[in-house]
Amino acid sequence: MTKKIVIEPVTRLEGHGKVTIILNDKGNVDRARFHVTQVRGFEKFCEGRLFWEMPLITARICGICPVSHHLASAKAGDVILGVKLTPTAEKLRRLLHMAQLVQSHALHFFHLASPDLLFGFDADPAKRNIVGLITEMPEIAKKGVKLRSFGQRIIEMLGDKRVHPNAAIPGGMNRALQPEQRQEILDRIEVIIADCQFAIDLFRDYCAKNPEVVASFADFKSAYLGLIDDKGNVEYYNGKLRLKDRDGITVEDKVDPRDYLSIIEEKVEDWSYLKFPYYKKLGYPGGMYRVGPLGRLNVADGCSTPLASKEFQNFKKLSGNGVVQGSLYYHYARLIEMLNAAEEIKSLTEDELICGKDVWTSSSQINEEGIGVIEAPRGTLFHHYWVDRSGKMRRANLIVATGNNNLAMNRAVYDVAREFIHDGKVTEGMLNRVEVAIRCYDPCLSCSSHALGHMPLEITIHEPDMSVRQVLRS
Amino acid sequence: MKTLILGIGNSILGDDGIGVRAAQELAGKISDENVTVRDVGVDGLNLLEIITGYDRLIVIDSIVTENGEVGEIYRLRPEQIYAPSGFSVSPHHFNLATTLEIGRKLFPGEIPEEVTVFAVDTEEATEVTEEMTEKVRQALPRVVRLVLEEISAPVARH
Repeated sequence: MTKKIVIEPVTRLEGHGKVTIILNDKGNVDRARFHVTQVRGFEKFCEGRLFWEMPLITARICGICPVSHHLASAKAGDVILGVKLTPTAEKLRRLLHMAQLVQSHALHFFHLASPDLLFGFDADPAKRNIVGLITEMPEIAKKGVKLRSFGQRIIEMLGDKRVHPNAAIPGGMNRALQPEQRQEILDRIEVIIADCQFAIDLFRDYCAKNPEVVASFADFKSAYLGLIDDKGNVEYYNGKLRLKDRDGITVEDKVDPRDYLSIIEEKVEDWSYLKFPYYKKLGYPGGMYRVGPLGRLNVADGCSTPLASKEFQNFKKLSGNGVVQGSLYYHYARLIEMLNAAEEIKSLTEDELICGKDVWTSSSQINEEGIGVIEAPRGTLFHHYWVDRSGKMRRANLIVATGNNNLAMNRAVYDVAREFIHDGKVTEGMLNRVEVAIRCYDPCLSCSSHALGHMPLEITIHEPDMSVRQVLRS
Repeated sequence: MKTLILGIGNSILGDDGIGVRAAQELAGKISDENVTVRDVGVDGLNLLEIITGYDRLIVIDSIVTENGEVGEIYRLRPEQIYAPSGFSVSPHHFNLATTLEIGRKLFPGEIPEEVTVFAVDTEEATEVTEEMTEKVRQALPRVVRLVLEEISAPVARH
């Protein structure tokens, strides 16, 4: 007897997701599936366009992380042109990238995740949301808004639109940073760094009060993937790929990101539009790996900036082998990265070269293949382009962060569901926890700006013939 | 009265681009210095800074309804989109209403008091394309005209 439980929609996610839980004959969880609504046809849409257009086009894929696509695309374009960026152009790209990291991580932590942590997973959903947070803890909410808008302000300085930036182009940047803009960043940065530390304190406080929840929540072993610099520090913009297996052993190191296909393969499942990348050598689905804040910190040996570096050491102490597995620690990793990014913004902006005028390198060369890889807020992002000799796109392959985490998110939902469903009975609190589990990964679910607000959560329990047996709403 | 006309949507997502296209047309037709026209591909909290500092906000967006006719244009207040009427899943409006609520709590007095949404009934976007469906293309001049009438009317007519 197979029953189907459908949870739709997952509230407060940036996009649209649906969870299906399939029970076995005994009424226990057999499979759990996290469906991602994907918009189709992107590759076809790109065909025949000039690679020069791609940073603008790909920035429109997503209203949530446009800067990441914009930068990965510009980097692929750099390779097609065969150019090395000027030092100023590279610094400006990094500044843009770090600004997006602060913006995105602040939004996620304060407005999507902190209501869960501050009110508790079982609090009334009517209160356990951003509006509830503002009503009861306005100072915390204001810090989140301030951090987010600081990142957004830098993005706006460098691109001429707020959210779909027109800042990077193959070969460099469109415009230089003005001295008064630099000053504005420097005037605000200390407060921003302090606010990042405040957020870390908030999470530590939660951990101190809920040690068991943090340690056990959707805690499962997986491999991890991320970029590192030549010192082994977390790297977001350049660097080499490192992959650690589920026991924390480095199995791939210093892999040029352009050789990503030598370690990663993608699997298609008929029930999901989003492909499932996996580590080739371990096969499918055993080659599941996780990316994003937790992945990056797990593969790295350190952080590039002093305050983040100190916090990184505390993070590493959470586990014997330096690999932290619990899904809730995504939040901690995210906050350490936010601090790291804020400190990076400070150091990039203090450098006089940031206001240099030499921001673009010309080239008449056209290579027929280009790969751009960066660490987007949600994880490793691959843009792989093939062009003809006139620079027109022949093909594009994108692996997005949420895709990299696809197997792991399914696994997290499965683990939570299994804990809460026994003999066909659903224990109170499962809905909320499935949501919390997915939210850890901060998935970017749709390739558009579509987002859902506070819709009631719905579980439909189906009889074997798929007739609806019971509907539960939060 | 400072007015912001905001087209929301994604111009490479078929009908979802209606708000953006309407805003682009309106930008060429309006020369009043108290009226700003913008198009954005975002929603939610990303709108907060964009809408701050205006007295009146006019939004043009797409909406997906259960029983409505594609191409139809609805003139709504943001909170109406929460109402359990025929309207089901809108790509953006839940967040607009929430964003306004958040903005008013955090920044009292800085968020537009008068908010009108022109929602164009569209097909759900499932494919990346710059083409809009025929009915939505036909709605474009109509929604532009409605917004022009709206800004020339002195008092809100909810």
